[in-house]
Amino acid sequence: MDMSFANQALSAVYIAHHAGELDNKVYSVPKDIDETIARLKLEALGVTIDILSEQQKRYLSSWKEGT
Amino acid sequence: MNLYDIKNESLVAEGKLRVEWAARNMPVLKSLRGRFEKEKPLQGIRLAACLHVTTETANLMETLKAGGAEVRLCASNPLSTQDDVAAYLAIEARIPTYAIKGEDNETYYRHLKNVLEFIPTITMDDGADLVSTIHKESRQVLSTILGGTEETTTGVIRLRAMEKDEELMYPVIAVNDAQTKHLFDNRYGTGQSTVDGILRATNILISGSVIVVCGYGWCGKGVSGKCKGMGANVIVCEVDPIRALEAKMDGFAVMPMIEAIKNADVIITVTGNTTVIDEHHLENAKDGIILANSGHFNVEINVGRLNVLLYPNVRHVPMLKNLY
Repeated sequence: MDMSFANQALSAVYIAHHAGELDNKVYSVPKDIDETIARLKLEALGVTIDILSEQQKRYLSSWKEGT
Repeated sequence: MNLYDIKNESLVAEGKLRVEWAARNMPVLKSLRGRFEKEKPLQGIRLAACLHVTTETANLMETLKAGGAEVRLCASNPLSTQDDVAAYLAIEARIPTYAIKGEDNETYYRHLKNVLEFIPTITMDDGADLVSTIHKESRQVLSTILGGTEETTTGVIRLRAMEKDEELMYPVIAVNDAQTKHLFDNRYGTGQSTVDGILRATNILISGSVIVVCGYGWCGKGVSGKCKGMGANVIVCEVDPIRALEAKMDGFAVMPMIEAIKNADVIITVTGNTTVIDEHHLENAKDGIILANSGHFNVEINVGRLNVLLYPNVRHVPMLKNLY
């Protein structure tokens, strides 16, 4: 329940600070909250991961780069 | 007047130890709590929570309080309340808590009202009971509410239905939709705890038994996978063609309930729907079949009808019901 409740806590904070901008709808949890929680969990498990290089980011976001 | 309704005030010390134990396995929440203590991001918020009153929830409540929120808690299920945790929260953590294990329906709904009495600005639900009560009976809360959060698949389905009918009167964040929720708690958490619950109640040997899992959502995937890993022959029942195909390609037998039940030693419902196992299915069942529900509400197996029609002598054991 660690990550579920981390989502609850951060979603409550999100509502407290963005209530005026929200309509009467069902919203998904903002992606940056999801990613923050995953990173914290990985850190707790002692897992580090790779980071995209600038070249790789360009490749993924461009349609002009070669195949 | 005490701002709580719990079973036994003398269970505080026991509850505290177990809450501390749970905290050891909640490193993400712990790091948020440290941040909340410094930044107080929930200062001025009145937060009403309706969740399973367990050791993990206690840690969430303390985190929210550390963030500056005023918090009240009631149970989202009358059977899951841990009375020692309720005692710890109410008395030592000083969080008004309304939850008694095994409480009847009347008490359950009175507790929901108790939590809404302080006119919350945020609701935190597991099954949309607070949202539903506010919209049906306590509409005075609507004038101050900022928004809500919802924990589970079943609650989110209800909220989306309310939104579609233009009945939803405040914004709600579907925590269940977060990938760090459903990909993990549903699949690994519910998967494990469902098997754990069945073993504690029945003490059966999983290996070699035929287990029918009804529903192949994230929870169903978890339950099926754990049972397979323990050596069961798992059959999956589905109504969604894509999920049925997924189950088939994951290596499970897939067939309709009416067929699957013929060989089943255990049936586990995890659908979020109603009357998944009904009288006509049981006509095909082996003697001694074990029926288990892991869905949010207790409507997936038509127990009321079975009691009346098939089995007049029902013996109740805590958390286990034998049908003769």
